[in-house]
Amino acid sequence: MKKIIPFLIIFGLCVLFYKELFYSHPEELPSALIGQSVPAFTLYDLTRPNIKFTETNFPHDRASLLNVWATWCHVCAQEHEMMMKITNEYHVPLYSIDYKDNADAARKWLANAGNPFILTGNDASGDVAIDLGVYGTPETFLISKKGKITYRYVGAITQEAWDQVLYPMIKKMDGEK
Amino acid sequence: MQINHCPKVEHSDDDFTSIKRYKSFVAVLLWMTVLMTSLTYASEDLHHFTTKSDELRYQTLIQQTRCVVCQGQNIADSNAPLATDLREKIFQMIHDKKSNEEIKNYLTKRYGEFILYQPRWNKLTYFLWAFPFISLLTLLGFLFSYALPKRRVS
Repeated sequence: MKKIIPFLIIFGLCVLFYKELFYSHPEELPSALIGQSVPAFTLYDLTRPNIKFTETNFPHDRASLLNVWATWCHVCAQEHEMMMKITNEYHVPLYSIDYKDNADAARKWLANAGNPFILTGNDASGDVAIDLGVYGTPETFLISKKGKITYRYVGAITQEAWDQVLYPMIKKMDGEK
Repeated sequence: MQINHCPKVEHSDDDFTSIKRYKSFVAVLLWMTVLMTSLTYASEDLHHFTTKSDELRYQTLIQQTRCVVCQGQNIADSNAPLATDLREKIFQMIHDKKSNEEIKNYLTKRYGEFILYQPRWNKLTYFLWAFPFISLLTLLGFLFSYALPKRRVS
């Protein structure tokens, strides 16, 4: 029995290493802001520069989404179809922040591909994104009707992720009082 | 690893198709290596500190802050635009006479404890910090109560 113990320890370690190597996602960081209010910010809308976009714009009667994107991000372009779908088919309020981008290119992009966003903050300096703990694009924040960050999705939202993770959360949040 | 998240990186759309262009590219690269030492020195010199201790504080902080885009690097070594932005933020906070603790709070509030290379002592990390000492004590206890007496008998 005593002789087996070292092998058991090694075996246990191997299982742990295997799991960390192949099944962990170190690049997907959990947001440090979960459960907290959206940090105060003031941005101007990309397409209508005289309109302000602040943390008070998120609806108070239902959950909403805040997507962080940019035209230099090819994954965001792939995600755009899903963004259009969220607005047109699922009717979830969708806001966005254009992160460290060329405003002209971004306006052109939205004019050509369609604009699914209610408001798009132009965050040319990336300061608001830092306050949100953004470390890449796309990232999507789920915001409760009380203005709290409930979840952060890192990477492009796929139909699968929408069906299995985000949409169930949104429906549940909208069902709550 | 599937790439479905874009950290912001600087790149040009230039495509070096012709050999001629490739050759001039190599020449430029060679010149760059020659000029590299002075270039890095120049980029270090962008921030002006009023005191020597502030500068030291800045250097220590950026070396202890993880670049969350390229997770194996600190923001002192990383060229990622987010690292540049965070260095700028840290510089600004030092300029505004913020303490190290305030700066670390600023970073962890946004990016979590993960951003600090040296985890702080709190309820999440006390076991992490105490574990080497606990294992050392256990080993010593084992040695004195079990291994050593046995040897004396034999």
